Order: sequence, then structure tokens, then C-alpha cells
Amino acid sequence: MNPLKVDRIFKQYGDKTAVNGISFEVGEGEIYGLLGGNGAGKTTTMRMVLGLIYPDGGSIQYHGKPYSAEQLRGLGYLPEERGLYAKVKVSDQILYLAQLRGMSRKDADANLKRWLDRFGVPEYYGKRVEELSKGNQQKIQFIAAVIHQPKIIIMDEAFSGLDPVNVELLKGTVKELRDSGTTILFSTHRMEHVEELCRNITILHKSNPVLQGNLKAIKKQFPRERVKLHTDGDVSGLEAIGGVLRVDRRENGYELLIDREEAARPILELALAQTNVQRFEVMEPTLNEIFIKTVGESHE
Amino acid sequence: MSNSFWTVVGFTVRNKFRGKAFVITTLVIALILSIGINLPYIIQKFSSDDNEAVSIGYLQKTEDMLKSSTFNNATLAQALNKHFEASPEPALKLVPFQETGTPQGDEKALKQAIDDGKIKGYIEFQAGATGAFPDGFPDVVYKSEKLMDTNVTESLAGALQAVKTEMVLQDSNLSQAKRDLLLAQVDVQTLQITTTAGAGNVGEGKTSSEQAMDMGLVYVILILLVMAIMVTGQMIASEITAEKSSRVMEILITSVAPVTSMFGKIFGMFLVGLAQMLVFVGVILLNMALPHNREPLADLNIRLADIDPVLLVYALVFYLMGYFLFATLFAAVGSLVSRTEDLGQAVMPITVVSLIGFYVCMFGGLSNPDTTVMKVFSFIPLFSPYAMVVRLGLANPAAWEVWVSIGLLLITILVAGWLSARIYRAGVLMYGKRPTIKELRKAMKAYKV
Repeated sequence: MNPLKVDRIFKQYGDKTAVNGISFEVGEGEIYGLLGGNGAGKTTTMRMVLGLIYPDGGSIQYHGKPYSAEQLRGLGYLPEERGLYAKVKVSDQILYLAQLRGMSRKDADANLKRWLDRFGVPEYYGKRVEELSKGNQQKIQFIAAVIHQPKIIIMDEAFSGLDPVNVELLKGTVKELRDSGTTILFSTHRMEHVEELCRNITILHKSNPVLQGNLKAIKKQFPRERVKLHTDGDVSGLEAIGGVLRVDRRENGYELLIDREEAARPILELALAQTNVQRFEVMEPTLNEIFIKTVGESHE
Repeated sequence: MSNSFWTVVGFTVRNKFRGKAFVITTLVIALILSIGINLPYIIQKFSSDDNEAVSIGYLQKTEDMLKSSTFNNATLAQALNKHFEASPEPALKLVPFQETGTPQGDEKALKQAIDDGKIKGYIEFQAGATGAFPDGFPDVVYKSEKLMDTNVTESLAGALQAVKTEMVLQDSNLSQAKRDLLLAQVDVQTLQITTTAGAGNVGEGKTSSEQAMDMGLVYVILILLVMAIMVTGQMIASEITAEKSSRVMEILITSVAPVTSMFGKIFGMFLVGLAQMLVFVGVILLNMALPHNREPLADLNIRLADIDPVLLVYALVFYLMGYFLFATLFAAVGSLVSRTEDLGQAVMPITVVSLIGFYVCMFGGLSNPDTTVMKVFSFIPLFSPYAMVVRLGLANPAAWEVWVSIGLLLITILVAGWLSARIYRAGVLMYGKRPTIKELRKAMKAYKV
């Protein structure tokens, strides 16, 4: 039984369909990626999972049970836009939110101190949120989402507005949560984060799930059509090989676009005949390419 | 459920008490109250020099110009001086000036004395139209640089009246007992009676002191209620808007039922407002208890024991119901607004309704508590917390009227609370422009509260 099961949920605002029948399941210790452009329906989907709004159709099950106030309290939520009291001390508001989620003040206090230590900012305990930088506010926001040790966490644009050091810090923390068995629903624009973290994904486009499934399997569906070729000297005649669509000169070699994987072999052979080959790789499509391709295609 | 309610209450109260703005506002108002209460004493301190009797000149004429042995310049001035000296704080003192021989010379000398600051003005007695005593009394002219020097003229008129009465009486053959009877003031005492057993005063007559306390209590309750509604209501609305605009709301709603969070906030604010009122009342009582302020308190005949407990209980009931009714409305409006800047405009209708109720009762109801307007207002839920308290204190509404009013108010509170909770639930997640009623209704249908 997967902790989070979303079954054909559907939401309409007036005449406009915001989410059109999305289904997915997230297992224990899994990070599930929800991708999509602006206005694709990610946030609406997440809000439905959170119980902030109710789906017009379909169902959501938490640990096999339908929506209830008790279930909702067990969720952790990291909203896209920051949601903290600017003028309230960090300790006061985190403890408040933890208590509302049914935690004792004492336990929450211990947890908060542990998390602040974990992020290396124990001195923020008594500070007001408005005194902190944006990145540090984000850390506090993150703590607010995990303070009550939720089994299911929903993260909307978890790493937006952070510098690379803090992105790594939070990413590491998210991975730890995953490894300790937490179920995480995750949305972002940053494809490299999805590739690094997620096992399964759904790409939403204009309210519809357009691509869904295991990330590796999805990648396999897409032809490998980029070839990286690093050589000592120049190679001529690459354009003439059948199946090569485009050749781009790079700093230390070439990048080629092919229309079928069989075209890769003659490229390597031609290169070896002319010079030393440092690197040759038929590249997997990146999620970025898949995303643009999927979303772009349905435009047409 | 009840646990999170108290958590919300605790958080609301704690944050308000810790907020600098709140503490400073409370202190400033407490300071203003203290100054206000001590103002009479302070003014008295500053103007203590002026407390000496004002000197007024008169001409000591050798010739009895007025042709009357009883009323002439000298006898009148003497009698006046005697009258002023007998009073604990003499207002005036008459200073004699010798004649120079010519009227022009007299006038010059007296004007010079005013210019030198020896006297404030001077008084002249002229033969009156009614003739000489025992049939007449001289006309009196007071000359001074000041325009409308009412302080002096009133003192003079009062003193002359007394002097005249005294002199006339001396001339008559009345016995001392008759004279005392004549001079004794007639005192009209008021006692309120009721012809039917109303709810407010339970058919008992009230002394004037009790009536004054009723009036005072009604006055205080009206002001406290309008303050609670305006100040606390605004705070509730702005806190909710702030939570919404800072998006804390999204996290709150996933943690706690919206109804719980809304009523937790309303109740928390109520406690904050109550604490603030207690501070103010405490400051007032403390200041009034100071030794130098005791006298005015006693003069005003304020005796807390004279407060009618029945009225007090009713007043508290209406106060609480009025507060919670308006608070739920403010909460609902606060939840509809996305930005704090837009809040003032959005709460305007509620503020206006509250002020209409207040002003009608304050400036119409206190003097005429039995008008049709007051009777109608005392049944309209948004106005009845003001109007019924006025009628209870100053008129005598029937018990059924009061209970119908309370019943209507309770029903309205329940409906408004239910509706506000739904608006709140739907409104807190609607951003952008303020939603239209149609959009709101649609959104409200989408949520189970």
C-alpha cells in the first residue's frame, strides 16, 4: 500500500479545467516529481493533495484512507511562496505550527533545535524572520514543513531562490528524508534536480498529464540522438554520414544530432580513421530535452 | 480540536503582547488618560496665582449722591467686601479711591490704577430708575478693559443680589426663622418609578445617584463597545489579511480547521482587548484614587455600589454579543482581502454600520431613550448591542423585548459565524483582486468547512 495514491483527480474553475484527471502513486521512501510549465496545474494538484482545495472528481488516499483532518495534519508542506510570520520569532512560529500539527511543545522545541543545528544556524532560534536573509528564511520554511516528522511531505519549488551551497544543503536533507522512508511529492522547474532525486515523474501540460512513469523508462522511450565526440584533431566529412542531421563544432570536438542510433557507429569509425578519439558517447536525452519536446509537441 | 483552538488563542495573545506597536499604543493611551484625569489639578496648580481675589476700584464719595441712607457707595462696598470675605475663596475685593473733585479727574485716576495693575476695573453706582430706597436700588456699571468679563460680573451680580436681600430683610421686621425659611433653597429630588415590571430596573425606584450611575454605565459601555469593535475588529481583520498575504495561511489551513483558527483568533483578540481595557480602567481608578484627585470624584457623586447589578449583567451580555458579531464580520472581510493596503476600504461598510449605531445611541438615545428609532434599533442585531443597553439603562423596556432582542442577536451571531467561517475558508485562498459575490459563492461551494 503506497502512502499516497492519487486517482484521476479533476478540478475545474468555472469553464477552465485546472487539472484534468491526473493519477499517480508515491511509495515509501520515494520522491515523486511533478513537472510542468507555469500554469500547467502543478500547484493546483498539490493543493488538492494537501486538502487546501477539493477535487471535483477522483479521489486521494493517504495510507489507504481518504481525506480527513487527522490525515492532513500528518502532512508536511513547503509552499512555493514563503509563508512565515515576518515579525514573529523563529522559535515562536515553528513551535506554534508544530503544536497545531499535534506535537507537544517540548518535542517540537527539541526538534527545532536539532534542525537549526543541522543547518548550522542555531543562533536563529530567537530571531525574527524578517531579520533573516531570503535563503535562511527558506531554511526556516523547510523546518516548518518537517518539524512534526511527517510521513508525507509536499514540496512546491523547494529550492527556488537559493544559492548553490544552500541548494546542496537542502537537497542532501531531502535525500536523507527520502532514505528514512518519507514519501515526498516534489515540483520544480529545475530538471537537473528531478533527475537527481526522482524515481517517477509526471509532466503536466495545460492541465493534462502528458508524460508519466519511471524516469529511466521515460528516458528509454526517447531516442538517443545526441553524440558527443572529443578528438585530438579535426574530423572531416561528418555531415556526409547518413542519419546525421547536424554537426556543431565544440571547444574540444563535436556534438552531433542524429535521427537514429545506428548512425552513431559510422561516426566513430570515420573519426578513428582520421585522428585519436578522446571521448565518444551516445548521449541519453536529458529531462530538459524531453520536457521541451513533450510540452513543445503538444503545442502543435 | 479544542487543543488547537487554545493553541491559536495562545499564539494570538502572545504575539500581540510582545508586539512593540501594541505595547506602545497601550502605554500612550494610558498616559493620555492619566493626564486627562489629572488635568484639573494641573491647571489649578499652574493658575494658583490667579486664585487671589480680583481687585476692583470704587469711588469713596463724601456726598451721598444716591440720596439713600441704606444704599450708597460706601455702604454697598462695605457690604460687598463683607460678603466676599465671608466666602472661603473670595472672588473680588473692593478698593476705595478718594474723590479728586472733578468727574474727569476721578475717571483719570481710576484708569491710571487699571493701567498700573492695581485694579482690574471699577464699579459705579448710579441712581436707579426705580428711585431711592426703600423703593429702588441703584444701577450698577462695571468698567473694565476686558470684553465680556463674565467672571467678575457674575460674581458681582451674585454678591449684590445677596447684599440687597440682606439689606432689605434687615429693614423689614421679619423674624430670624422666617428669614431662614425665605433664604433656604428649594431642593427637588428625583426618583424614577416604573409602572410595569420592565427588564431594566425591575420595578424599583431609583435615586438620582443611581440614575447617574446608570447613565454613566451606559455611557461607558457604549464607548467600550465601539472601541472594542473598531480597534479589535480592525486588528482581527488586518491579522488575517497579513496571514493571507504572507501565505502563512496555506500552512495554517493544512494544520487546523479554518473555523477553529478563525474563532481562536477572534477569542484571542477578545482577550487582548479585554486586557487592554482592564489596564485602562486600572489606570483610571488608580489616578482617581490619588489624594489630590479624590475631591472631584466625591463631588461627582460616583459610588460604585450604586451600579444596578441587573443592568450590569445585561450590559455585559450585549457587549459580548456585539463584540463577537462584529468580530466575525471583520474576520470574513479580512479573509477576502489579499493586501493590507486594501483592508481599510474593505472594512468601511462594517465600520460605518458600527458608527451609525453608536452615534444614534450616543447623541439621540441618551437623551431620548424611548423614541421609535431607539425601539426599532434595539431589535436590529447590528445596532441592538448599543440601543438595547441604552434602553435598559435609561428607559424601561419590557422583559420580552430584551429577550427577543437577545434571541435575534444570538441567531445573527450563529448565522454570521457560520457564513464568515465559510467565507474565510474560501476567501483565504483567493488571491488577486477582491472576489465578486458570485465568485465567492462558487468558491464557498467548493469547500466543506
